Amino acid sequence: MQRWRQIGLGLALMLASLAAQAFHPSDDDRLTLSGFGTLGLVHSDNSEAEFLRDISQPRGAGEGWSARVDTLLGGQLGWRVDPRWDLVVQGISRYHDTGDFRPELSLAFVRYRPDPALQLRAGRLGWDVFQLSDSRYVGYAYPWVRPPVDQFGILQLTYIDGADVTFKQPLGSDLVRLKLYAGRSDSRIYVRDDLIADFDADAVYGGHLDYEHGPWRLRTSYTEVHSDVDYSGPLIDEIDSLQLPGLDGERQIESVLGFSRLRLFSLGALYDSGPLQVQAMVNRTRTERQRGRIDSALLSAGYRLGQVTPYVAVSRIMTSSTHPDDTDIDQRTWTLGTRFDVASDIALKAQFDRIDTRRPGFLWHTDSDWEGGWSSVFSLGLDFIF
Amino acid sequence: MIRVRCCLLVALLSLVMPAMADIAIVVNTGSGVSHLTRSDAVNIFMGRYRKLPSGNPALPLDVAPFKARFYRALVNKNLAEINSYWARLVFSGENSPPQQVATVDEMRQIVTSNPGAVGYLDSREVSPDLHVVLILSE
Repeated sequence: MQRWRQIGLGLALMLASLAAQAFHPSDDDRLTLSGFGTLGLVHSDNSEAEFLRDISQPRGAGEGWSARVDTLLGGQLGWRVDPRWDLVVQGISRYHDTGDFRPELSLAFVRYRPDPALQLRAGRLGWDVFQLSDSRYVGYAYPWVRPPVDQFGILQLTYIDGADVTFKQPLGSDLVRLKLYAGRSDSRIYVRDDLIADFDADAVYGGHLDYEHGPWRLRTSYTEVHSDVDYSGPLIDEIDSLQLPGLDGERQIESVLGFSRLRLFSLGALYDSGPLQVQAMVNRTRTERQRGRIDSALLSAGYRLGQVTPYVAVSRIMTSSTHPDDTDIDQRTWTLGTRFDVASDIALKAQFDRIDTRRPGFLWHTDSDWEGGWSSVFSLGLDFIF
Repeated sequence: MIRVRCCLLVALLSLVMPAMADIAIVVNTGSGVSHLTRSDAVNIFMGRYRKLPSGNPALPLDVAPFKARFYRALVNKNLAEINSYWARLVFSGENSPPQQVATVDEMRQIVTSNPGAVGYLDSREVSPDLHVVLILSE
């Protein structure tokens, strides 16, 4: 008993001393503990629908203040076996599909780097489908309080269990990077108050090509997701209770949403030179629904003045199909905000979003018949790394 | 007259401003690398491509006393921005920042014993056991 207590105390002291170090999870330390987190507060003026950060959140921020949507904590353990092999494990606690802050294993992989031009990883990996999508919970890494909802809020998966390979090839002073990945995943998204879609994605594969030229970083990417989607909720029960011959609730909903096969294309450009950072992207996702498409675009720019970085962003999302229905989304967002770097590991952010929702689809949580309108969302964030 | 005034201004500034030397990027004298371009240095320190022109893998070192000046001179970014850049790569499991060393002596020790190591220091402090591959003017 005494011994266990000593071991426990020793471990606690070791963790505390690791955590007390400044942020430098670098190559020299064999074992590194690091982490990131956000304390977020959101104020919305929308009394009809709740603002969501992403569609994995069953509830959002209603009228007034809420700390639910953006607050999160992540911890990461890295173990470098030798210069070529290492292991990374990461967990994140955030408000997600379980309806609480239950921690989730977000990364767990082994990495092999036989050469600076080649990297192989296997295990649980972030879903690197769009530029920045695999670091979308690391608030300290970007200027906004949260990545723009019109692009990143509709992403269906957060991680894949599989493998990826990255090749790098310099061309003069430019650099080409090719990444290919494949795996499987599962996730749950809340389409409506009365409808849940559980993705059992047995094949997720794709890749992207990056071209880096001076301050420019251009990306083109393509991903396919093949899933067995399990729909549930009162809506399905209602359809099934009609007991009409040949009418099956799940099949009916799948024909409307067409989530069983997704093909995601994306073009991204990042310009990062000294104090100026500009990001642009256009994305198109095709669904199995009749010529179903999810289109989105983003333009964001920030300029650092000393410790303060004001930024602006405009984004848009629109879904379309030859058979329009009430799951369709049409929304524009204008964002104005500022990031204040209090220290080299803490940033404070204030952001104002003016959102023009023409069709809310499943981007907002509502149990009323809200058909859209203007909303103002004010957010405060404190992001840190350790 | 204008020229005289300019000269006076320059003279005055040079009196007021402390003499600032440049930052020298250094490698092992036996590394087989004669010089690096600025984009080589960016590739190595920002983790884009860590290979030396000699073909050896590069092992970049961040030297605490000069870190802020170094990144200001290399990419015109402050340490918060550099940390923010690495936060994205570290927490997506894509890459790791350079090895952090606390003193110039520690850096000197690693560079003189490792042909792939790349460090930096104030150009006035360069000793003969280090080979300068690039000077970043401030």
